[in-house]
Amino acid sequence: MIQILIQGLLLSGLYALIAIGFTLIFSVGRVLNLAYGVNLMLGGYAYFWVSQTLGMPKLVGVAAGAGIGILFGIAIHRLIVKPLKSDPVPVEIATLILAVVMQAGVVLIFGDASKILLPIVEGNWRVAGVSVTANRLAAALISWVILIGLYFFIRKTHVGRAISAVSMDVKGAALSGINPDRINTITWGLSGALGGLAGVFFASVTQLYAGMWVAPLIIAVAVVIVGGIGSIWGTLIVAHIIGFMEVITASFMPEIRGVVTMLLIIGVLVMMPKGLFGRGEL
Amino acid sequence: MAFLEIDNLSAFYGRAQSLHDVSFDVAQGEIVAVIGTNGAGKSTLMDSIIGMVKNTGAIRLEGADLVGRGSAEIVRMGVGYAPERAHLFPFMAIEDNLLVGGYTARDDIGRNLAHVHELFPVLKERATQETSTLSGGERQMVSVGRALMTSPRLLLVDEPTIGLSPKVCTEIAATLRRLNQEDGLTILITEQNINFAMSLATHVHVLETGHLRVSGTPEELMADDELNKAYFGT
Ligand SMILES: Nc1ncnc2c1ncn2[C@@H]1O[C@H](COP(=O)(O)OP(=O)(O)OP(=O)(O)O)[C@@H](O)[C@H]1O
Ligand SMILES: [Mg+2]
Repeated sequence: MIQILIQGLLLSGLYALIAIGFTLIFSVGRVLNLAYGVNLMLGGYAYFWVSQTLGMPKLVGVAAGAGIGILFGIAIHRLIVKPLKSDPVPVEIATLILAVVMQAGVVLIFGDASKILLPIVEGNWRVAGVSVTANRLAAALISWVILIGLYFFIRKTHVGRAISAVSMDVKGAALSGINPDRINTITWGLSGALGGLAGVFFASVTQLYAGMWVAPLIIAVAVVIVGGIGSIWGTLIVAHIIGFMEVITASFMPEIRGVVTMLLIIGVLVMMPKGLFGRGEL
Repeated sequence: MAFLEIDNLSAFYGRAQSLHDVSFDVAQGEIVAVIGTNGAGKSTLMDSIIGMVKNTGAIRLEGADLVGRGSAEIVRMGVGYAPERAHLFPFMAIEDNLLVGGYTARDDIGRNLAHVHELFPVLKERATQETSTLSGGERQMVSVGRALMTSPRLLLVDEPTIGLSPKVCTEIAATLRRLNQEDGLTILITEQNINFAMSLATHVHVLETGHLRVSGTPEELMADDELNKAYFGT
């Protein structure tokens, strides 16, 4: 029982970090960036290449993961989303195809085999009598720190408020002196950075391989669909619902672990097309 | 040189033209009203000044042409805008809506916020209430307040009285007059409520299907028989 609670909390924190960057784009641009999982994949590979292949300090590797996420996020916005005028269906098709292409690219450079990432933080901890790796604990804690930081950034800074303003009313934002295009670029960069960071931690507690963009994308889609339009709180709550569902099924029926999330997506879509917390808040 | 010069202004939505060679001036410290019926082009005129419509001709603020500049730059140059339907941020608190208005005039936020609270005390009392739950009058106050947060020298208000009770209209009129007299703010409003416009403005321009038909002081327009027939039915 306590085992499930702790595993659930750790997994959910990471899931919330995975989903938040995707949610951010959805609430500001009303498009699903189906190449979002690629940010995680690139983040993971950048970390691997910088810290394990080049042997640079781990912190540099983490920064590289965030950095490549920023570049990839801004590139998608400039090269795909803007030319397509944020038209949802073409954007979704184009980003999904891009994800498959990027996977092929990663296979070309790094090969097909999965890589083992050395833990970012080493050792084991005992939490309430349950043994967890320090790496998992660190991933969850850092996720929380980032999410809390993001919350205050959005609520308390000019640029953060401008991001929510653009998400709620573009004209209202523009006549307040905000340049929506600039805010969009910032949002895509921020989303990319969050995705890249999430990818470093996600790869370090799972595996690094070229197909690793799929699972986080499903988690992120589930969070947006179940949570409705993305508020930070909604994202946290739904990430916990999904995280705990997975931990519980994994301990009773490990074979269907990832399937429940997908069934949840379809179930919510059919029963509540607007999601559980559907409103345009950030 | 007038404070604001609208010079042969035309406005286009795609190939449709909504303003045809409109010209008039606004002097500094004046309240000017543009009146016209639905579809006359009032909102198009306001959106043009703030840089949201495709235009030909010129809009000069103290000599600097605004046509072709982006909205963000025009706001920085001193134009504040309370648009039709307010365009507030519905799931943000009143206070946060006002703070977004302070995006460009960051050094003035403290002073501007205190001024807005003084003009509309209810916005201070309800600071944490989301604007999606406000009444029409309160929304209009937030909208004007948000525009004032940009530290404007020219305030644009598009149909401030639309859908509001006579009592709230009187309050809005009093506030606009106060902004004009105490702060010397130059104000351009549009209206369908002709009595409201006549009571507030020193100059009135009548817009009809995108053309400026007549201009004058309220007294001059009241004396115009043809206009009286068309707009007052007398
Ligand atoms: N975004 C748009 N695209 C195409 N045409 C538009 C657009 N906005 C306004 N128009 C057209 O421009 C003309 C002027 O519209 P505008 O909204 O400026 O009128 P208005 O005087 O503000 O009317 P109202 O009193 O109803 O607010 C109308 O014929 C309208 O159909
Ligand atoms: Mg209008």
